[in-house]
Amino acid sequence: MPDNQGLSHLSDHFLIVAVVLYSLAVIAFAADFAFGRRCPVVTRAKAEVPDLVPAGVAAGGVEDGAAESGTAHDAAGPDASGVGPASTRPGSTRPDSTGPGSTGPGSTGPGSKGPGSTAVARLGGQGRQPAVPVSRLVGIALTLTTAGLALHIAGVITRGLAVHRVPWGDMYEFVISVSCVAVLFFIGLMIKYRPYHLGLFFMAPIVIIMGLAQTVIYTPAGPLVPALNSYWLAIHVTAMTLASGTFMVGAVLAVVYLFAERHTRRVAAGLSTRYGEVFRLLPSAERLDQIAYRTVVFAFPIWTFGIMAGAIWADQAWGRYWGWDPTETWAFITWVVYACFLHARVTAGWRGRRAAYIQLVGFGCLLFNLLGVSLFITGLHSYAGLS
Amino acid sequence: MTGLRVPPGQAGSARPDEAAAPGGPSGPAGSPSSFGLAGWARWGWRQLTSMRTALVLLFLLAVGSVPGSLLPQQGIDPAAVQQYYVSHPALAPWLARLSLFNVFAAPWFAAIYLLLFLSLAGCVVPRSIRLARSARTPPPPAPRNLARLPQSARHESTLEPAAALDAAAGVLRRRKFRLRTGDGWVSAEKGYRRELGNLVFHLALLALLCSVALGGLFGYKANRLLVSGTSFANTVTALDEFHPGRLVSSSDLQPFTMTLNRFAASYVTSGPSRGQPLSFNAYVSYSAQPGGAVRHDNLRVNHPINVDGVRVFIIGHGYAPVFRVTDGTGKVVFDQPVPFIAVNTSGLTSTGVVKVPDAHPDQLGFAGVFLPTAVDVNGQLESAFPAPLDPRVSLVSYKGNLGMDSGPPQSVYTLNTAGLTQLPVAPRPLAVGQSIKLPGGAGTLTFTGYRQWISLAITYDPGQLPALIAGLAALAGLLLSFFVRRRRVFVRAYPGPDGRTVVDVGGLARSDPAGGFDEEFTGLARALEKASRGSSTDTPSLTSTTEGKSH
Amino acid sequence: MSRPTRRTARPAGAGRGVAAAVLALTAVLGVAGCATGIAASTPASNGQSFVAGSPGTTVFKSGTGPVAPSVSGPVVGGGRLALTAYRGHVVVLNFWGSWCTPCREEAPDLSALATHFKASGVRFLGIDIRDSPASAEAFMNDFRITYPSLNDPSDNLALDFRNTVPPAGIPTTLVISRSGRISARVIGGATYNGLKSLIQRAAAEPA
Repeated sequence: MPDNQGLSHLSDHFLIVAVVLYSLAVIAFAADFAFGRRCPVVTRAKAEVPDLVPAGVAAGGVEDGAAESGTAHDAAGPDASGVGPASTRPGSTRPDSTGPGSTGPGSTGPGSKGPGSTAVARLGGQGRQPAVPVSRLVGIALTLTTAGLALHIAGVITRGLAVHRVPWGDMYEFVISVSCVAVLFFIGLMIKYRPYHLGLFFMAPIVIIMGLAQTVIYTPAGPLVPALNSYWLAIHVTAMTLASGTFMVGAVLAVVYLFAERHTRRVAAGLSTRYGEVFRLLPSAERLDQIAYRTVVFAFPIWTFGIMAGAIWADQAWGRYWGWDPTETWAFITWVVYACFLHARVTAGWRGRRAAYIQLVGFGCLLFNLLGVSLFITGLHSYAGLS
Repeated sequence: MTGLRVPPGQAGSARPDEAAAPGGPSGPAGSPSSFGLAGWARWGWRQLTSMRTALVLLFLLAVGSVPGSLLPQQGIDPAAVQQYYVSHPALAPWLARLSLFNVFAAPWFAAIYLLLFLSLAGCVVPRSIRLARSARTPPPPAPRNLARLPQSARHESTLEPAAALDAAAGVLRRRKFRLRTGDGWVSAEKGYRRELGNLVFHLALLALLCSVALGGLFGYKANRLLVSGTSFANTVTALDEFHPGRLVSSSDLQPFTMTLNRFAASYVTSGPSRGQPLSFNAYVSYSAQPGGAVRHDNLRVNHPINVDGVRVFIIGHGYAPVFRVTDGTGKVVFDQPVPFIAVNTSGLTSTGVVKVPDAHPDQLGFAGVFLPTAVDVNGQLESAFPAPLDPRVSLVSYKGNLGMDSGPPQSVYTLNTAGLTQLPVAPRPLAVGQSIKLPGGAGTLTFTGYRQWISLAITYDPGQLPALIAGLAALAGLLLSFFVRRRRVFVRAYPGPDGRTVVDVGGLARSDPAGGFDEEFTGLARALEKASRGSSTDTPSLTSTTEGKSH
Repeated sequence: MSRPTRRTARPAGAGRGVAAAVLALTAVLGVAGCATGIAASTPASNGQSFVAGSPGTTVFKSGTGPVAPSVSGPVVGGGRLALTAYRGHVVVLNFWGSWCTPCREEAPDLSALATHFKASGVRFLGIDIRDSPASAEAFMNDFRITYPSLNDPSDNLALDFRNTVPPAGIPTTLVISRSGRISARVIGGATYNGLKSLIQRAAAEPA
């Protein structure tokens, strides 16, 4: 079947508009930091939302804005970072350390204080975040991002339809798909953990990556070379795409974590810091670290599976399941570094900053695998499609 | 994934001085310097099998792989290695001394993975044994103050404390917790499969290494270039390259034969990807033994042929123009196809040499290009399309000493012109059927036609299936260890101040990489509360606290 | 206050670091030593388009060598020939190709030995690998090889030897005694004197 050039052009148009929408979203996120106004009532809620675990049926009774409580860690976000060091010590986010305490107006119900308990939660949702201060700009930014994602997905799908196969057969398609997965994962994070203000740090690299993809490494839709013409393409490259997109999310979180952790340290030491307001809006360093860790936990088995599927495919195509081809080698190196990260995370003394550095080294290896090896080193994996 | 490893000598030991000993020399306690050989060995073994050492070795393995991916490797591309010597004459010998042109077969690389193997085995096997032994141990008793746990909740009940505890135990039992009851408390634990998954993963890695070793010992890889219309047998004299495992001898090769009847390649004919290959089809006949049943098949990329346990893959293709050479005495001294190697992929322009060492009076040599679809671009000959739409050959002719009668073996794809003189022949690309008449009566070369060739990879790896099974087991173990959380839940019930029973629930997740224990505890506390509500019509009051992170 | 005497977990002081380094180095070297054997196994590709095999001579004690298979095939220049036709004679079987430099290097010696031993009834037979008939004939004319060679473009004859002493590369020369058993195998180029003594040894074996 000949490729459908019309669909291919349609895919390009979808993706270009998606990039434009993402760019506008980035601008909106940035503008929110600079100009966004927060609702005043939320300030009170910040002070009194304790970090509590929802534990059972909520009694009937008083509900208030602050009672849309979620898990402990969420409250530690916008709330505790306003009060500095206390928020980041593990185990220290007991509500009575947050200043005004838990007896703010409207926050209690019957039986609020039992012996030994320090606060009360009216129980709301399951693991959802408390209401964070959001301005309209963030709402606009998220809407733009979602719209951009819809067009992004449409672009990927039409590219796949144009070439009659899964749309990750050369480097351009791979990069587009990986960024699509990353944005999807980001939206998922937004829904689950609501760190809205991380939007700027996620979407800005996405815009840059997609812009580069459209200009520098763009290849027109074409059929697969015989070596790639196998159902393993759908299995192996899909897994790598998913894992890479998720690792990208984790890397962004690690970078933001490092800055947040540095900020927290400086605040704790009483030094002056810049962008304090920015960090106040972001989740706490601990929280960022935790979400980044969970991202890697999610992506690491997929990456392992991708390597295995690649090995099975290599055995099918070239006769050996492991030949230390440069791409294979760097995928292995990436795997090892992320494995070191996972081990470091449970070893005392290596959590926090050092673990984040290891994670970034791992992502660096992934990037080198994708860009450096494919473009500069000739191996059996040279399917970039670039001449 | 794994916790800190406690040295065996220190676990569970009551006396501080014994706790510090490595299980060292059994002689009298002496000064620190009396550390016998056995003590050193034990200390060394403990260091080797600690998790930190294993991680360091794993990291070294990754770091050691880096030069193997950046520098040209002898086993993959020896021509590139030679090129490196030419472009870096001072540096290359030093790199070669460190085996950096053959990293993955280097002794130091093998040392790293062998040590890693030992370290992993020495750590994981004892842990597996310990897990097997402790598989039935009950959970620990409930701590006194459940409010100090990372997750805790409290509710009140009208049931008696014992009845409340029974109700709680019932709920937990239905949720498949392992229970232990005591005076006024119930302790429950779940998620033992997590450790099992962890150990399965690491054991599977060991099995994977063993499978790789198995293949390396008993397997082999070979290459062979096969021109269409010819056949070969799987024996050492017929192979272009042969890489046997350590314990493989030439008599172990499976004796199959294979003939290439026809090779057909198709290419994209229009559009932006014009010239890109679409499909390769090699129509072959083969039999597992000489004289055995002959089977026919289409050998394609990603569809190898399995004959007698050996797999044959097509990994390349090209053109082999056929030449007939008559020497100065008029005899036909050469008449066969010569494989040419493609130097660009867009048009498959191919280069090759023809050596006629038995020509008289002088040996003859020819070197040049084959162009499947020859076009003239500004005076330069190029191939515009990879299919043979207008094949031409353009050769330079030599006579003299080819250097083949003594000395080291030569490559069949290069001509050593040191002993040759170039013949003055008018340059003219030959079409099929045309000839070059060499001056001075040295002979004639006729381009009689062309065929195609395929290059085959022949591999036999008995460790392949075990490796696959080990890989799948590793993945399963990994998923288990990530997504099963090892958690404990404790319930205490005691009479409260106003006559009702107070029920405290506490929980902690010993490892919860993927998160989610919070939600589980919520649901559990709610279920416990519901179970102990009994017939009370009071609105239950529920409080909960948490400390810090449940991670 | 003096420190209590106790067995320590590891040697104290600077000795510990040195000890660790020595131990690590020893371990790595020790493992590397045996690893060399495991790792170094593969000949590299060199564009020669054939496997040269590791040169060497294998000699079988009289009467213990494997029985040579009965190969037969087309002769370069026409006709057919079977090895059984030479039963009762010492046979020197040489695998060669006109394109193979070591084969060309040993060809004059083989030709001379064939002439030398012709009177004593030693038969020479060549098996030509991957050559067209034209190249094979040209080679034989060039080196004045008078003994016949079988053409084996499909490696069937080489396969026939797989259960006995397989030719493990090119060139390979087999010396077969009168009883039909293989008496010696030479991988790589044969020398005049070396092959001569092997032939004399085989000739001394009983039929």
